[in-house]
Amino acid sequence: MKNQLKVLRAMRSWSQADLGEHLDVSRQAVNAIETGKYDPSLPLAFKISRLFALPIEEIFDDEFEGAHNE
Amino acid sequence: MNDADDVANNNGRRRLWMMFSGIGIIMISGAISGYLSQRGAEGDGPLNTLDVSILGIFAAVILLLAFAIWRLFQQTQQSGERVPRREKLNNRIIWGCGIFGGIIGLVLTLTDNIGTANEPSLFASGPISPVLAVILAGAIGVVLPAITFYWHKHVVDEQEDAAYRAGALIAIYAFWFIAPVWWFLWRGGILPSPNGVALYFMTAFIALIVWFWKKYR
Repeated sequence: MKNQLKVLRAMRSWSQADLGEHLDVSRQAVNAIETGKYDPSLPLAFKISRLFALPIEEIFDDEFEGAHNE
Repeated sequence: MNDADDVANNNGRRRLWMMFSGIGIIMISGAISGYLSQRGAEGDGPLNTLDVSILGIFAAVILLLAFAIWRLFQQTQQSGERVPRREKLNNRIIWGCGIFGGIIGLVLTLTDNIGTANEPSLFASGPISPVLAVILAGAIGVVLPAITFYWHKHVVDEQEDAAYRAGALIAIYAFWFIAPVWWFLWRGGILPSPNGVALYFMTAFIALIVWFWKKYR
């Protein structure tokens, strides 16, 4: 799933390890989420959302177009 | 990706090389043990020049690999990498279990062959002393499950958990398919009888490779 995690992290000059520390996950987990190789669970997505004070849908993009086509 | 991420990536590669070097040491130790056993079984006398040369090369490679591990470890320590708390604990447990497994592997490799004509083999099933058997059974049956329980309960994060589940799924499917295929081919006289130890190692190896790929790619 595409996401803005790398951009949001860069805005705070955080390394992947820094973000991992904030989220209590490993650097590999942060890297996997950023590169779209792993989609976080709902609890972790909410944690990320709270950390950056942004709604989940502004951080993660599931490329769902259904709402626009209805 | 910032500098800290580059440092972490470089250290990841260093850790991988340290692991390969450690496996190399165990395998070469096995080769030395096998070589000496073979000589013993053939009833040869003291070591001749050729034997000393061969064993010297083996020993030199072991020293070289040990030196590589030490240097890589130093470089990792000096890099100033920041590691999240959970990952730090995870790394310690992985390294601890790796060293523990390495020691068990080394003990088995050395005790399986010395003074016997056994071929050095990962699948060796020759007799070992009851004391060693109890120690190894306790290590694998009591100590490792306790560490594993703690690890999965308190250390592994959800991405690694998913990597484990993927590894376990593919490994169990591989076992389900390969075991009966081997069994049928044995009944057809094409393959030797199925080897439970080989199947165990194959299953564990597939799970490990998939976990590693999913976690670190």
